[in-house]
Amino acid sequence: MTSNKIDILLAKYWECETSVQEERELQEYFLSESIAERHQQYKPLFSYLESVQEMGLDCDFESKIMEKIAEIGEREKEKKYLEIRIFEPLLKIAASIAAIAAIGISVFLIEKQNKQVFAETYNDPSVAIKQATSALEKLGEALKQSEQASMRGIRELQEFDLDWSMIDSLAVSADSIPETTDNVDIRERL
Amino acid sequence: MKKNILIGLFVLFSASVFGNDFINRFMEECIEKERPVNNVNIGKAMMNKMAANSDDEELKKTFKELNSIRIITTENEKDSKYYFKKATELIDKDFKDYNEVVSVNDRKSKINIFLRGADKESKDLILIALDEDNKLTVIAISGNIDFNSISKLTDSLRKEDKEDKEEDELTNN
Repeated sequence: MTSNKIDILLAKYWECETSVQEERELQEYFLSESIAERHQQYKPLFSYLESVQEMGLDCDFESKIMEKIAEIGEREKEKKYLEIRIFEPLLKIAASIAAIAAIGISVFLIEKQNKQVFAETYNDPSVAIKQATSALEKLGEALKQSEQASMRGIRELQEFDLDWSMIDSLAVSADSIPETTDNVDIRERL
Repeated sequence: MKKNILIGLFVLFSASVFGNDFINRFMEECIEKERPVNNVNIGKAMMNKMAANSDDEELKKTFKELNSIRIITTENEKDSKYYFKKATELIDKDFKDYNEVVSVNDRKSKINIFLRGADKESKDLILIALDEDNKLTVIAISGNIDFNSISKLTDSLRKEDKEDKEEDELTNN
């Protein structure tokens, strides 16, 4: 390659008009031993370009990365595992203490409840007897009254002297026949 | 899982604290300061003393069998109506294990009787009543309640003239 041609190529290069092919030619020239004196100054530039272009990923780059990731992951896992290990037994202990306490307290309270949950109103049995008997009396009366009320109810019904079969048939007819003025009249008369 | 167990325990716990005693719940939740009530509590120890002190054999027997009698009353008509409503609401809401055994609702009076553990040795009975004068009576009795002996008691305690009155009423009706 003549140095003239290199001159032209260089000129083109500075104008950013070189093609890939031409740039490669320039590179080859500068890598070779026979570089003209006036081109010596550009040598570092082109050798630098060369080294940049050669720089790429190592073939074991991926495996290295994966290794690193795995390492970090493991460390992280170990961390989490450690946390749980420290935390969980405490939780278990706390939960069981809470459970035992809850059972204990409720048993105690149930016991207490079965014994007594209120203060005695009276110290004198004779006064208490009066209250208690009046309470029992009221209960007895209430029971009697309910009996009477139901008896009274039955008697009142009997006094009405209703014809049940008629009422039943009325209900049936009212259900089956759509409402007419006749029907309403019957009900009103009732 | 653990949470569920804890929640279960909590429910059991709270139920054991509040769920058992109607009068306590009623006093805590429903009674208002401006609407005062009379409260009488008779416990097991007093029951035994009462049994020892009473001459009537029927009464003696009844007192021995009962664990407690608790009574709440008010004289004020408005309060009575208010508390009557509250008490029945409370039973409906939180004392579902009680069965309504008596319900009278006529012009003269309103009576509701609720019973728990009817087939058991230890029964709990709650009576909520509004009488003719609109006065409230809440009675809670627990223990082995014998209804036959109670009606017998009522008969023997009732004065003659009272009985006559009732009979008149019956014949009038």
